[in-house]
Amino acid sequence: MNLKKKICMLGVYSVGKTSLVRSFVSSIFDDKYLSTVGVKIDKKLVEIEGQPIEFLLWDIAGEDEHFSVPSSYLRGASGYLLVMDGTRKDTFDRALDLQFRTEDAIGPIPFIVVLNKVDLADEWQIGPQELARLDKMNWTFIKTSAKTGAGVEEAFHKLGQKVLHP
Amino acid sequence: MTKDPADSGSDKFPDEQEPQEVFEIEELRQLITGPERIRIDQIRERLDNPERRIHDLSQILPEAISLRTSQDEKIAKAIAPTVEKAIESSIKTNRKVLVDVLFPVMGPAIRKAVASTIHGMIQSFDKTLEHSLSLRGLKWRLEALRTKKPFGEIVLLHTLLYQVEQIFLIHRKSSLVIQHVTSKDIKTEDPDLVASMLSAIRDFVQDSFKLEKEECLDTLCMGTDRTIWIEQGEQALIAAVIRGNPPSDLRSTLRETLDTIHLGHGEALEAFDGDTTLFEAVRPDLEGCLQSRYKQKQKKDFPLFWVLLGTAVFLIAILSFFSIQGHRRWAKYLERLKDEPGIQVTSAEKRSGLYHVYGFRDPLASDPADLLIKDKLKPDDFVFNLESYTSTHPQVVLKRIDKILESPETVNLELKDGVLNISGSASHPWIAEMREALKTITWISKYDDRNLADQDENAFALLKGKIEQRFFLFEFRSAEMLAGQEPELRAFIEDLKNFFNLAKGLEKAVQIEIVGHADSLGTENANLVISQERAEKILSIILKENLDPQSFRTSGLGSRELFREERTNQDRELNRRVTIRVIG
Repeated sequence: MNLKKKICMLGVYSVGKTSLVRSFVSSIFDDKYLSTVGVKIDKKLVEIEGQPIEFLLWDIAGEDEHFSVPSSYLRGASGYLLVMDGTRKDTFDRALDLQFRTEDAIGPIPFIVVLNKVDLADEWQIGPQELARLDKMNWTFIKTSAKTGAGVEEAFHKLGQKVLHP
Repeated sequence: MTKDPADSGSDKFPDEQEPQEVFEIEELRQLITGPERIRIDQIRERLDNPERRIHDLSQILPEAISLRTSQDEKIAKAIAPTVEKAIESSIKTNRKVLVDVLFPVMGPAIRKAVASTIHGMIQSFDKTLEHSLSLRGLKWRLEALRTKKPFGEIVLLHTLLYQVEQIFLIHRKSSLVIQHVTSKDIKTEDPDLVASMLSAIRDFVQDSFKLEKEECLDTLCMGTDRTIWIEQGEQALIAAVIRGNPPSDLRSTLRETLDTIHLGHGEALEAFDGDTTLFEAVRPDLEGCLQSRYKQKQKKDFPLFWVLLGTAVFLIAILSFFSIQGHRRWAKYLERLKDEPGIQVTSAEKRSGLYHVYGFRDPLASDPADLLIKDKLKPDDFVFNLESYTSTHPQVVLKRIDKILESPETVNLELKDGVLNISGSASHPWIAEMREALKTITWISKYDDRNLADQDENAFALLKGKIEQRFFLFEFRSAEMLAGQEPELRAFIEDLKNFFNLAKGLEKAVQIEIVGHADSLGTENANLVISQERAEKILSIILKENLDPQSFRTSGLGSRELFREERTNQDRELNRRVTIRVIG
């Protein structure tokens, strides 16, 4: 079986979405696509329970006051990584808002919350209260570091499991 | 329980009859009408029950409609308004259902009919606009004027050349590649990434320009000769990467392929979850879209063609003429070369436009290049590969002997039957050297120089005669020479010098005798004395010129050998003389 899945990378501006995938994917496109078309697509092969799955990663430009994620980019996705910057508390709330809007646009699909930049422990701002909120909503979250690679593979693997068994 | 209507037909009221009688009548009635009553009850129940009636009607309705439809058009007319209202209602309520149903069936038929009518016109119009202002367009416009064909037709004639390099079948919702096929030898990037990015760009364009769902991006141009054509269906789209200028009916082909895929795999497309193995079967359909068409040369009924053809034929004729002429010259030259003394041709060929000659050549043979010029051939066209050898051809042998002997121009050499004939004249030393040299030459059997004159011997003989003809006159009874004889004496001395040189070269021992004479007037003794004195006188003059005294001797003959009988004084004067004799 040759399985492909569309996966979106969501998160506000500068949370490290592009850095998260840069070292772990095969790519033919330049990052400038992010600032022009608003998305850059990369490919990552993961193996879940012996089944290889090709992830087509839609790295969608981070939201800011000038840009919001187009729903057309989300259409047909099998799952997504909701990326937050652990050193910026505001990205937490904005990510929650983005998740609600995403679900509103394309319905409930599997996703994983990624708390990025765990290597910057001194600047960490997302504390137990926020994590408790995630637990309460029964959201799966993983702390990652694009810099060291910690948690990145695990995040993709967990999302793969969710996608395979939604 | 339902009341039986037969009860109302009795002649008596029940209370007026006997019970036994009533029972019997009832029993009899049951026996006679029982089965019919049951049947009637069943029919009544079916008629009174709407659900049963619907069921019964559904059993016979299709056949009934079919039967009536075959008889007349009343059924069609009767249900037409209802069907129309139903369709109208369906469209108002949810047009997607009807679109989904009709799209795969109606789409191809409509497109085929419309496309076949207008595609030529649209294509011609598009291409005409595209090329009308370009330089090439102007050239083609001239061609259209010349051939009296529509400009659009000329444009198409030159531009119908294309190749479909790649076909993507892309799931519309997820943008995932369902299948991807390529033409031979086409290098491609990762089709999944390309297709996804292509979808993203289409979404980007659609969102940016707020386009309707049906108004999506369907053509992308890359440079001057590559385009992407996109045909969109309900569940999937086809993207064709094309090089060149495809005809518009290619789009119809793409469309029909997409419709065929929808028709055969509609449900699988709707349920597509990323597993592409289910769609391997559509690859042949997609490969059918990998079309290519190459430009074919058009026959042109145009004078220029004939002019060019004529020119070509003329040029070919000219070239053939020169080629034949060149070949003849080459053959003639080869024959001449083979006959040339001192040259042996072993093989010859024309290769890479050059004539190559192989063989041997004596260094004294003629230069082959000189012969080329004689035959009006260009030396640059020839390559000579001639090894050096010693020829025994008489002419070359003669040249070789001539070179060895360093023959003077006065000598003629001739070789006949192995005998070298030497004629003419040459100096004595050259003749001597020649004879020595010929002893060592083996190319001749013998030589004959009888006709070769020794120039020095001749000169010697000539000079000897000249010297012996000299005489000098003297005064009466005196040893003094008559005046005026100095020039003659000088010439005599020069002759003597040359004579002695020649004699030396000829290795001859010679001596000059100076003989004095006297007239007959005096006594014998006196005349002897005077004649001796006169001879001594001449010798003394000669010896002043550094000539060897040993080469001379003098004698006085008196008047014993008179030159002339003395009748006059003039006779006696001629007898007072000195004469010269050469001895040896």
